[in-house]
Amino acid sequence: MRFGTKASLAAIATAAALALSACGSGSSSSSSSGAVNGAGKTLDVLVGVNTAYPQQQKQWMSDTAAKFQQQTGATLKFETFTSANEELTRIQTSVVSGQGPDVYALGTTFTPTAYSTGAFKVLSDSDWSKIGGKDRFNQAALGISGPDQSHLIGVPFASRPFVMAYNKTLLQAAGIDKPATSWDDLATQAKKLTDPAKGQYGMAIAYKDNFDPWKYIWGMSVQAGNPLVDGKTAKLDDPTVKTAYSTYFGWLTKDKVVNPASVGWTNSQALADFASGKDAYFLMTSSGSIPTLDKSALKDQWDYALMPTVAPGQTSDKAGSNSAASILSGDNLVVANYSKNQDLAFAYINLVTSKDEQLNYQKIFGDLPANADALASLDSAPHMAALTQAAKESKATPFTGAWSDIQLDLLNVVVQSIPDLSSGNVSDSSLNSRISDAQNKAQQSLNRAK
Amino acid sequence: MTTSNPASGTRHAARAARRAAGPAPAVGPDSTSGESPTRSVPVIAEGLETPAGGRRRRGPSERNRPLWMLIPGGVLMVIVIIVPLLLGIYMSFLDLDQYTLRQWIEAPFIGVANYIEAVSQTNLFHGVWLSVSYSFIATVIAMPIGIAAAVATQNAFKGRALVRSVFLIPYVLPSFVVATVWRTMFQPGSIIDKAFHVFGADPGLFLNGPNTYWTLVFVQIWASWPFIYLLALAGLQAVDHEVHEAAALDGALWWKKLRYVVFPYLRGPISLAFIIGMLNHINNFTLPFVLFGIPAPHDVELLPVLTYVTSFQSFRFGLSAAMAVVSLILIAIPLFIYLRVVKLDDAEQGGRK
Repeated sequence: MRFGTKASLAAIATAAALALSACGSGSSSSSSSGAVNGAGKTLDVLVGVNTAYPQQQKQWMSDTAAKFQQQTGATLKFETFTSANEELTRIQTSVVSGQGPDVYALGTTFTPTAYSTGAFKVLSDSDWSKIGGKDRFNQAALGISGPDQSHLIGVPFASRPFVMAYNKTLLQAAGIDKPATSWDDLATQAKKLTDPAKGQYGMAIAYKDNFDPWKYIWGMSVQAGNPLVDGKTAKLDDPTVKTAYSTYFGWLTKDKVVNPASVGWTNSQALADFASGKDAYFLMTSSGSIPTLDKSALKDQWDYALMPTVAPGQTSDKAGSNSAASILSGDNLVVANYSKNQDLAFAYINLVTSKDEQLNYQKIFGDLPANADALASLDSAPHMAALTQAAKESKATPFTGAWSDIQLDLLNVVVQSIPDLSSGNVSDSSLNSRISDAQNKAQQSLNRAK
Repeated sequence: MTTSNPASGTRHAARAARRAAGPAPAVGPDSTSGESPTRSVPVIAEGLETPAGGRRRRGPSERNRPLWMLIPGGVLMVIVIIVPLLLGIYMSFLDLDQYTLRQWIEAPFIGVANYIEAVSQTNLFHGVWLSVSYSFIATVIAMPIGIAAAVATQNAFKGRALVRSVFLIPYVLPSFVVATVWRTMFQPGSIIDKAFHVFGADPGLFLNGPNTYWTLVFVQIWASWPFIYLLALAGLQAVDHEVHEAAALDGALWWKKLRYVVFPYLRGPISLAFIIGMLNHINNFTLPFVLFGIPAPHDVELLPVLTYVTSFQSFRFGLSAAMAVVSLILIAIPLFIYLRVVKLDDAEQGGRK
């Protein structure tokens, strides 16, 4: 395999590790009741590195470990991963070898994939009671914890709902008193707000981002009543999807309300452009942008609003029970099946999802609480109104192991269209063929889903 | 090496130098005129290992060798290389994905289905073609740059150490950093884009669309020529001082000296650099991944990126193992031919170049 690839090497090395470690060890969970006594034990927790607040994260970890020790007597050991890729590798290695961290912090979109491996504990009622019951959490945040209410593996820990930021000064100058609530209105407003001569554009869009684009397509499709996956059928060939793509590309090619340079922008670059005051709206952002914006020239001149919930060409939101103001995004905590410290694991989850701890976490890192009380208490904080509302109106992406593939297919349509986009015209025929390509691949992935 | 006339003078020079250097030339002046002088130097052991008769006669050094002492190394080889390779091949016959990963030994055996899918439904051949062609172009262009840099810094001059260190910077920088820096510079509206516009040219996008291929080739050359430079420098160090002297005495000027005296010495290291460079480029994942992201634009859907996506985005480990095996075969064949042709694996290369 020398001439193969690193990726396959990694996969094989993983397999070899398993073969050599003689299949790990059988797992047995401790059987203590009441307060967990973890003296002499160590709980291993895997979390992502917070690159924006590295120092604060270290502090948070040692504080949490101290509290945990006080409550249970056990040692809390944090392990970190720096990229989604590393996270995947860690999970795969642990899944195969049956040993590794006891608790994982997973991104929400990865939870269905994790579920499909069967390596994580489906929470029973008694498990839920150990962590304060399901009612403790923002109900929308439970939307992607499992395929149905009785098979949940993920305990919501943090929410990162997506909203749009707007520049109050520019909107006022254009005589717009309220941010748009439908995509059509948003385009109309953006046209008013665009003045290429001044280098001012209606929206900042990150076309080159590795995640953003599919969220628009998913959102607009769901709002038009198409959840993209219906049981085992992919519905990317539905006209709503094409409308979504046309709208998304049209902002640049037809409406001309975004900076042409944005074909090369990632989300953080779009944010930087918005923060410099050149754009009226910045879409698909989260609470993580607060520190940047508060330090920028825009300080006091910006706020968040819900992103439009009425699909292009529609008059009302057709997303169903829960309007799709944002994809359900954030972190879930899952407990490994092989863990020998499951009681300790739940004690840890109980600790970090408590109201005070959640508010403390929000204060340090900006992620919204998944704890319902904590979330409610934030309503009136500056910039928080739209965020908390979006957290409650978030909708989960389809709960299928095929989703990561489908997400990639949706994104791929945008990636391959960028040269056309840059030249000013994404032709109907090439868009059609890219979408039907994505549909085929998505359907294949769904066919494999078990 | 050709037998053109101007060569004869330098050949004399080289031969004279060799005589001075030590081992006597066993090949007469009139034979093997098509070979370069340096290649005709026989190492003494060679005569013993490959006698003309074809039947191997075991020389004294080959008799009663304690071959069993190789066992620890052999066992390690088996564990480190053979076992994973066989596991990989075995995996390629399994329907191994996110749903079966946990008990992967029990994953359903599906025969060659993965291979059929790899060949018929993925962009495997496109990926192999892109990988090999881009690696080849990058290596071929990096070669003269590296050799020129090595020759330029061969003779001592003031500040040579500094120049040599500067040359190594692209090689020392982690691939991730190189790719990040270049990605920033290749952004639309960024420095490279603006530079083109100064000259009135509109190059289009560098990080999406057809230009991506050449962006990748360019950055790869930038990052990898110091490797060729290093090996060429090592080769140059091996040229005996007397050879230079003799060539100078024979009146060879710089180009002829370079062409007929120095370059033949470099043949070994350069053939080696070529193949290692090629393989490094083919295996380079970080550079395209960081430059273009995932999913990659169609024009840079290289083999490693493709396998990565199959393994770690789609979680099709069986399929990606099959893809790796197919590409291994596709790449191993030309590699094998190359090794035969340049005789890099010959024993004679082991001794004196």
